[in-house]
Amino acid sequence: MRIAVVFASLFAAAWVLATPKPSALDFRDIAAQSGLTGRNVYGGLKHKDYILETTGNGAAIFDYDGDGRSDIFIGNGSTLDASQSGVHPHLQLYRNEGKGRFTDVAVKAGLTAEGWAQGACVGDYDNDGHPDLLVTYFGHNILYRNRGDGTFEDVTEKAHLPVTGTRYGSGCTFLDYDRDGYLDLFVSNYVDLDLANTPRPGKGGYCEWKGIPVMCGPRGLPLAHNILYHNNGNGTFTDVSEKSGILKPGGRYSLGAVTADFDNDGWPDLYVACDMTPSLLFHNLHNGTFEERGVEAGVAYNFDGQLQAGMGVAVADYDGDGRLDIAKTNFSGDLSSLFHNDDGKFFTDVSREAGLGVHQFLGWGAAFIDVDDDGWPDLIEANGHVYPEVEGKQLGDTYYQPTLLYQNLGNGKFRDITESAGTGFRTPRPSRGLAIGDLDGDGRPEIVLVNMNSTPTLLHNFAPPSGHSLNVSLTGTKSNRSAIGALVTVTAGGRKRVSSLLGGSSFYSQNSFTLHFGVGPCTRVDQLEVRWPNGLAQSWTNVGTDRTVRAVEGRDKLEEIPFENAGQQ
Amino acid sequence: MEMRTWCWTMRDINIGDGAPRLHGRMRYLAVIAGAGFLCVWPACGANLRDEGIAAFRDGRYSVALEKLKSATKDNANDPDARVFLGLTQAALNECKPAMPALTVGFHLPSPDLSRMAGLAAAKCEQSAGNETKAFETLQELERRFPNDADVLYALAKFHMRAFNEATFAMFQRTPASYRVHQLSAEIFEVQARYDEAAAEYRRAIALNPKAPGLHYDLGRALLMQSHGAEALESARGEFEAERQINPEDAATEFQLGQIAQVQGKRDDAALHFQRSLKLSPDFPEALVALAKLDLQAKRYSDAIPALHHAIALQPSNEAAHYALMMAYRDSGQMEKARAEQQTLDRLQRPPEGEFTNFLKKLGEKPPEQ
Repeated sequence: MRIAVVFASLFAAAWVLATPKPSALDFRDIAAQSGLTGRNVYGGLKHKDYILETTGNGAAIFDYDGDGRSDIFIGNGSTLDASQSGVHPHLQLYRNEGKGRFTDVAVKAGLTAEGWAQGACVGDYDNDGHPDLLVTYFGHNILYRNRGDGTFEDVTEKAHLPVTGTRYGSGCTFLDYDRDGYLDLFVSNYVDLDLANTPRPGKGGYCEWKGIPVMCGPRGLPLAHNILYHNNGNGTFTDVSEKSGILKPGGRYSLGAVTADFDNDGWPDLYVACDMTPSLLFHNLHNGTFEERGVEAGVAYNFDGQLQAGMGVAVADYDGDGRLDIAKTNFSGDLSSLFHNDDGKFFTDVSREAGLGVHQFLGWGAAFIDVDDDGWPDLIEANGHVYPEVEGKQLGDTYYQPTLLYQNLGNGKFRDITESAGTGFRTPRPSRGLAIGDLDGDGRPEIVLVNMNSTPTLLHNFAPPSGHSLNVSLTGTKSNRSAIGALVTVTAGGRKRVSSLLGGSSFYSQNSFTLHFGVGPCTRVDQLEVRWPNGLAQSWTNVGTDRTVRAVEGRDKLEEIPFENAGQQ
Repeated sequence: MEMRTWCWTMRDINIGDGAPRLHGRMRYLAVIAGAGFLCVWPACGANLRDEGIAAFRDGRYSVALEKLKSATKDNANDPDARVFLGLTQAALNECKPAMPALTVGFHLPSPDLSRMAGLAAAKCEQSAGNETKAFETLQELERRFPNDADVLYALAKFHMRAFNEATFAMFQRTPASYRVHQLSAEIFEVQARYDEAAAEYRRAIALNPKAPGLHYDLGRALLMQSHGAEALESARGEFEAERQINPEDAATEFQLGQIAQVQGKRDDAALHFQRSLKLSPDFPEALVALAKLDLQAKRYSDAIPALHHAIALQPSNEAAHYALMMAYRDSGQMEKARAEQQTLDRLQRPPEGEFTNFLKKLGEKPPEQ
């Protein structure tokens, strides 16, 4: 009898039972015409000698200058020969000038650090009304405090965050884990990397891939440990990794991180996508500590108990059952993961049944985004191989890979609509970070992709809206000002849509804090409910759609701002 | 004659700068000879023999030939001189006169000399077209030196050559046969060229629609090529066709079960897995697949014994351990679930290797503050 394991290991196909809806999407890349022209520099172009050259950068969408328009931050890297080459790329901060134009103001805004930046996360850690920015680095992370005048101040040392030593900071997220109203900070670390003691490509057991010499790792390299910093409420932080239980599971190769309340108990939990080590789910025990229960919960491995090379993570209630589910991107040859939240405690890996195995690219950034405003969160995934060496080798993989769009069919299944979603999706790229947010005020989120050693991508949907929608922007008062951790429920047409204001997520990235709810044909929302991070629940009825509503914790009145130019370029 | 014992250092036996000038095959022999000639060689002090061996080592075969011939004339009973003369002749492709000495050398008690002589003899036998004898020699070498890279390399080369010759013969003599297309397809599959593999399988099927295995292989290639709904349905058609030809193939039933499962047809999937297990009760993947369906239906009393059966068959089957952990978890047996988790952790620990050892000294450091 032939052993049929090949099916078990390689088969990850999708089957769509429901009649697919026609796709009316026309996403095009408008980065160049919008002024997003800064080039990412990140390691070798054709060869990567070390793992450091492969991870790339993330993006953050946030309104840094308080003008009501979302701006874009994009990290930048370096090269191993930077000291000789004289090339010193800087961080990118694209100020939204309105009318579809962006200007890079990073240097003027004080974002001047060089080196191997990695990820970014945003949160108003000092509750002064101006969102602050953390950039993770290979080296030491940098906390940029937003002065509120269009500039940032490096307060890393002042905030008692480490400024010495070398860590491979990767994903990060602000969260208020003890609900004291101040945002704490979680930073994942990838590898305890010592370049001087890392073998060269092809020089070890984990330095080859499909027969070609490639950079070594992460397997074989020392594991790293994640860090939780408690916000002392006075502008400083304290490392509480040990006493909070973050160190207890031991080292991992951690990448994307997100905070969300998975068991719906009102306290933020943490999920960390890990590369070739079991992914982590830290359950908040409400007493300043966490219990790691990724394996027990069913989110550490794939459906067969196999380790995966987890990269990015997205969170949403994709099936409308009121509980937050998890999507995770993985290495090539594997399918992306979709962990269905069964009861808040246990998850089931439904990736195959949900149809996420049509392609098996090397995934990085990911986000749930309702592109057709039908109220079912669709899934977008940025891709690109880690090894440029595979290009042209006929190994069944390519370095440049398309960005994928899976349409949520509303029955627990997804349909790959990449080909019909517009030219912006079909172009292969070496993508890493991905962030979503409405950049032009039309209510519908745009998509920013960070492309390694290339310019960024800005995907805008030129097709007219196929449904109505409501955007919700939150400001905490007793809760943390950014309202990270808030849970919003929109009821329209007899159906509830639940979304959470996430810290971190995707790969190394931060989505806009404005939540987008598609409501299809409904022109009114029956009920809008907000559960604030500190537990206060508020609700509003009969809210109009096609507008952004701004809710302030404890205030009855919503501020309403109609969408601009809906459906227009 | 004064007897002395000496040994060469690794640097001494390195064939050094002269090596690249040598013809590939000669250099190969010299490398093998040099690599095995470590600290074990009893010398008789005979200058000619020593000079001849040194010349062989350096790849100066014509000099070695002259010296070693003279040495064997002086002392016909010097086994070292005789064997090295044979090795030199083999390196010069003079296999016929070399074979008697190599045959003697292969049976000498010295493992190094025996190994070198055996390898040279196998090459000579193969070049003389005596494949059977060459294969016997290589098998004997592998039995005696199971972890020797040179022996395993020679064996691999032998099989590769045999494969190439048989393939060439098939393409020459039966170019219109379905087997030509089948083999082409298999080669394309190895190269991850699944489009071309599927096309070749289809050509093979057109020539011999009833040949067992072809539809199965085509179905597999289709799944490797794409995981879209269309590919799934095409693959299902091929596995169904295979089942018509090969109704007792458990693997085909398993594949049909997997497809049905992904299509959300759990009852159909269970039927296929059950049929697969009826045909082959010890099929671990089918046991696990059926147990996972039982698990979803909360039939823990069916799932748990099946998973134990799979683990008994394949103790390191990670999927079985993971499914068993989930079965214990979902049935509230948390202690047993944790025990399975520990087993899984152990199985998934990266294998120790040179790279890991290289890095071990770095340890697992706590985060810097």
